[in-house]
Amino acid sequence: MSGQKKLWWSLLAIALILSFSTATVSAQGGGTLIGGFDVGPGGLPQTVPWVQTAGNTWLSKIWSPLVSYNEDVSGLAPQLAVAWEANEDNTVWTFTLREGVVWHDGEPFTAEDVKFTFDFVLSPGSTFSGPPQAAALTILGAQAYNAGEAAELAGVRVVDDLTVEFELEAPNPRFPFKLVDSYILPAHAVNFAPAEIATTDWWFTNPVGTGPFMHEEFVRDQFWAVVPNPNYWNGAPKLDRLINRYFEDETAAILALEAGEIQFTYASGDVALQLGEKGYALHQGPSGVTNYFIFNYRNPVFQDVRVRQAFLYAIDRQAIAEVILGGTAQVVPCLGAFPNMWPAEYNEYAYNPDLARQLLAEAGWQQTEPIELVTYYSSQFHMDAMAAQQQYLADVGIDVVPRVDADGYNAYFYTGEGWQISYRGLGNNPGNYPFQFYETGGYPNAVGDTGTLMGQSFPELDALIAAARQEADPDRYTQLLQEICAFQNENAIEAYMWTALRYGVASTDLVDFYWFPAPGGGPYEDHPELWAVAE
Amino acid sequence: MFKYLIRRIVVSIPVLISVTIIIFGLIELAPGDVVDNFINPEIGYSAETLEAIRERFGLGQPAPVRYLKWLGNAVQGDFGLTYVSGEPVLAAIGRRLGNTLLLMSTALLVGTVIGVSLGVFTALRQYSFWDLALTTLSFVGISMPAFITGILGMYLFAIEWKIFPSGGMRPVQRDPTVWDTLHHLILPAGILSLAYIATFMRYTRFSMLEVLHTDYVRTARGKGLHERVVIWRHTLPNALLPVITVIGLSLPSLVVGAVFIETIFSWPGMGTMYLDAVNAKDVPLIMGMNTVIAIVVLGANLLTDLAYGMIDPRIRYD
Repeated sequence: MSGQKKLWWSLLAIALILSFSTATVSAQGGGTLIGGFDVGPGGLPQTVPWVQTAGNTWLSKIWSPLVSYNEDVSGLAPQLAVAWEANEDNTVWTFTLREGVVWHDGEPFTAEDVKFTFDFVLSPGSTFSGPPQAAALTILGAQAYNAGEAAELAGVRVVDDLTVEFELEAPNPRFPFKLVDSYILPAHAVNFAPAEIATTDWWFTNPVGTGPFMHEEFVRDQFWAVVPNPNYWNGAPKLDRLINRYFEDETAAILALEAGEIQFTYASGDVALQLGEKGYALHQGPSGVTNYFIFNYRNPVFQDVRVRQAFLYAIDRQAIAEVILGGTAQVVPCLGAFPNMWPAEYNEYAYNPDLARQLLAEAGWQQTEPIELVTYYSSQFHMDAMAAQQQYLADVGIDVVPRVDADGYNAYFYTGEGWQISYRGLGNNPGNYPFQFYETGGYPNAVGDTGTLMGQSFPELDALIAAARQEADPDRYTQLLQEICAFQNENAIEAYMWTALRYGVASTDLVDFYWFPAPGGGPYEDHPELWAVAE
Repeated sequence: MFKYLIRRIVVSIPVLISVTIIIFGLIELAPGDVVDNFINPEIGYSAETLEAIRERFGLGQPAPVRYLKWLGNAVQGDFGLTYVSGEPVLAAIGRRLGNTLLLMSTALLVGTVIGVSLGVFTALRQYSFWDLALTTLSFVGISMPAFITGILGMYLFAIEWKIFPSGGMRPVQRDPTVWDTLHHLILPAGILSLAYIATFMRYTRFSMLEVLHTDYVRTARGKGLHERVVIWRHTLPNALLPVITVIGLSLPSLVVGAVFIETIFSWPGMGTMYLDAVNAKDVPLIMGMNTVIAIVVLGANLLTDLAYGMIDPRIRYD
């Protein structure tokens, strides 16, 4: 063998040895699970509690809220609290805490930690600003305390070690739903100032939580590794190690999955279905996000219900969902993404281009220039859908031109100016319904005197929303949501399209693994203490 | 030469400040602000939450005031905190800069050594089989974008043959060794080097052929000098001048990074950080990165000019 050949074979042998050394997974106990838990719309790499806008699937592995969503986000599941109840007018909520919970460092968890957490994040100068703020600021005295106008937070009271009471500024029958992503912090271990919530290294160096896993190693931009919490209240996790690897985009994560380097990642519908055919395990569920056209009523043409209904009759939503979106989306009658939010009967707006043309003619529809259909979506899924929508609308004489603006969208959407029609998505479930999108005065800074994003208010809808906000009885509340849906459907307030299924893709060696595409990553009941990797 | 060096550095200062003004102005002109990064359009934010996020970043002041504040701090070495991750800008840049330098300098080194060598090799064998074959391959290398070579390389070497990892800079299950780093580096750096190899080979070949046909080379041969001396002492140093210019122009890429390769190989470098910063409208990070990149570009131009003087004795800076 020549010297050159020897060198070549030596290099090849070294490369093979190295590749085997990384591909082999040690599998003592439950093994090591490596996943891209922050890939996709529910993920947010390297975020931290109280400033997070997503990423809860991972955060909930280390920290726990009082309550979380249940496994399919249809209700609540107990976490640090085992029971909760409201007084008669839903202004005071009492939470009974789980007994025997200890922090990762062995200190006992008590009601003082709950009070500390809300005192801490609401204290003047704190920088918390994520969705948990929506709940915290409704607590009695929270805004005054946060503004430095009150010496203490009046609305959170410790009754005893295992009981804590929240008093609210206004009645809220669904206050616990607002607490799902409010992670409780350890009073004894937090060693940074409230102003440093978003910037402290504590989260990544020596964090202390009550979650099923404990911090082990964090390498910025690359991964976060955790190990089982032997004292976890629901039993010590079976896994030896759980690792969240960071990826710049979904494609990189899919390639890592196919290379066998990770065992789980989020994947877009079309990619997920292809991977399913290759034998990967698919975890699918409704996204809880409804895609729809929101009309800007500041343009008088959209104030005519016949025009809005024509948009619905003109588009064969069912065909798009089944053929173009490959069955990965379900047509919806209103904003509600889940069937229990729909009334028994509603107008399906079945594809009827003749009726659409007739409605447009009756409304005197005359278009002199194309209307921009602005969106922040740039995925193939939505691009395909929008191309089809454009064709269907053109067929009845509505000329729309899709425009993707992922970067600037939020800057003008919330003002109500700069757009005519927007194709967008809005997450919702019975516990967290975005009433403010429809309520008069919901967005005081929006252009116009109605204080709404679409520039129009509906007194009947306002009344239904006001009733729903106050309704404590679950059945009556569901009924009110259905009445809201019926009103949206009948009046075609917006042109509701579909809610998409979302997918997680896992290798088949995962045991008892569970994932659900909850908006913002939940948190939801996924029982990570049961997860394991088969040898 | 020292005077020349000082003069160039002094001239660079207003250029640098101009760059920061232009970048800051462009960010201001772009629609939206950092708050958009914190708004997931699919979550129904309340008006109060939106306002609170804006307040958190102190976006109420006029743009000139914010720029002057930034400049005042920057000249003292304080580039502020990134809006998104909250860490000091220089620390964030420092971390990513090391990663990018490792990736890009490896690619550039490999590209330079192989590219220049093949350029000399083909020039000395003009119109031979090897010349035609390598020239054809070089056109393929220049024409093929990184997103093709990157995906193809990953598919073959990481997914099909599993010789190299598909991404990342280190194994996540143990502390990394030098071999681990090399193992993760070879594929992305190798793919990046393809374009360098092709480009430098073309320039070297062209330049070598040009010099080989000059009178002084003919004279050197006529004097009976050994061919090795003619090539290595009289031809190559002169042929390298334009190649050095091209290599010099490539130096800024050492800190700018390669967005696609970094993305697809999950290599946390400057390219992806810059893209993320722009998408998030993370002003302190964008400003910090642009300042660093501008300094490197100015420095690279200066180094290139100085290198001319070292290779070509006709060039003097006094």
